Amino acid sequence: MRDDIGSMKDLEDRNLVQRALKADPASFGELCRRYYPSLVAVADSILLDHHLAEDAAQETLAAACRQLPKLRKPEQFGPWVVAICRNIARDMLRERQRQRKPVKICQGDQCDSEQADDHKAILAEAVQKLPGHLREIVFLRFYNEMSYRQIAKVLDATEQAIDGRLRRAKKKIAIYMKTKGFRR
Amino acid sequence: MKHDNDNRWLDPMLERHIRREIEPFDFEKWAETHPDEARLLRNGYKDSDQNAKTKTYEIWRFIMESKVTRYSAAAAIILAMTFVLFGPSWAPGNGSVVLANVQQKVAEIDTMIIRGQKIFKHPGKDGEVFNFDGTKCVFDLVKYMSKEHGFVEEGYADGNLFYRITFNLSKKQTLIIFPPYKKYLTFPSMESVATIIENFTTPNGAIDLLLEGDYKKLGKDKIDGVEVEGFEFQAVESIKKILPKTVLDIQDYTGKIWIGIEDQLPVRVEGDLCIGKSFMSMFNDLNLREVNVLDKVNIEIDKDTFDIEPPDSYTEVTLSDILQMIPVEAKAGLAGLGILPVGFIAWKKRRKKKGTVAKQ
Repeated sequence: MRDDIGSMKDLEDRNLVQRALKADPASFGELCRRYYPSLVAVADSILLDHHLAEDAAQETLAAACRQLPKLRKPEQFGPWVVAICRNIARDMLRERQRQRKPVKICQGDQCDSEQADDHKAILAEAVQKLPGHLREIVFLRFYNEMSYRQIAKVLDATEQAIDGRLRRAKKKIAIYMKTKGFRR
Repeated sequence: MKHDNDNRWLDPMLERHIRREIEPFDFEKWAETHPDEARLLRNGYKDSDQNAKTKTYEIWRFIMESKVTRYSAAAAIILAMTFVLFGPSWAPGNGSVVLANVQQKVAEIDTMIIRGQKIFKHPGKDGEVFNFDGTKCVFDLVKYMSKEHGFVEEGYADGNLFYRITFNLSKKQTLIIFPPYKKYLTFPSMESVATIIENFTTPNGAIDLLLEGDYKKLGKDKIDGVEVEGFEFQAVESIKKILPKTVLDIQDYTGKIWIGIEDQLPVRVEGDLCIGKSFMSMFNDLNLREVNVLDKVNIEIDKDTFDIEPPDSYTEVTLSDILQMIPVEAKAGLAGLGILPVGFIAWKKRRKKKGTVAKQ
């Protein structure tokens, strides 16, 4: 069994998908293990709630399992399952917003007066204000120390593109923090 | 890959703020909480795999077997839309809209109602609208689509139903009615033609056809308050050649698809076609602009909507009826192409002098 798992780690996503489609649950399990941390990070970048993000990742894998025969390019499993995850997380976010009042976001002077000296709060706010696709990159990078290569694979992009997006995200965060009075 | 301006001082702060310990994924536990999926994995996808493929195939057949779709001037738009929506998984870049998502979402739709407008214009005449037997060819459209029952397109001119096309999926039969003339046309699917086209453009190959041409992202916009992202598709040679030029001469087309960022569903589909003199344009050079908006999805549509029995008082369209609508020069074109015998046209011209057939 251990050997099976060991050899599976060397298999490409494409092979694992093909094996999963032929009644090999362990192959799907390996795909889950591979992408689960990325899915949690992506979901958390949308939901901003770690526990909900874990639920979203679990549901994503269930949806991916059901939809697996529709995946025409098995080598694209990563970007595909991440796309499903975004949808599920957004649905959960909408559901949560329907059930609860939206989270109060401090604005302008109010934040300045209440939290100017609270770097963590300013950082949290800066991250929260990032556009979704940039927040996603930041979460993927810092959630679980994913490498550029890993992120690039998950998002079907080049490492250069990932680097560019990450720099743009950090620049926005830095600008926001400076406008809120943060000094290094 | 490090740059001077990459704000590295933020890294430790972001690590502290964002970093989480993620528990290793426990597949056994997941399988316990998702028994249906676990069963699927254990038993294999042999049935469901087949079903999934068949479903896509059926949608494709449903579009391609419809003579109306194949032979209508809107074929290219529908094809372009189909390539995107029902083609293989495909994720160009990582924008707000991932087309693989859209395919998946659309694949989950069983019924939909689409509203839109179809305008035929003469090219180079300051956009003069094509006039067909006294009716300006500006049609408000309502389309009903059902995976189970088929497809209906209603075209309204000045608020009155001008045509209704019904393709019944189970009976593989098409009915077209023209209420102003109390005429109908009905025909079965032409298997031979459908087979040729299917072989030429299977769903698997379709996306390659699309990518053969240029597409570009149009960026974000808002349609009726919905945030959307647009994609534009340019003419693809293979699509232009999908039908013989004598039947439908698509000289150029552009398609735009606007997809809702939140729902990942198509919100609006636009198409602009330049059609040369061909049978489908009644041997006129025409520009067609069609805009479709997704109105409702997964709603109940009465099975009777797809009924293909012609109304009692209607009579079937004959070749004589069609010839009355075609300009003389077009008839010569038909004869030249060998579609009609020259003698037949001459005979019809003599008869027409005796009086024209009024609308019933």
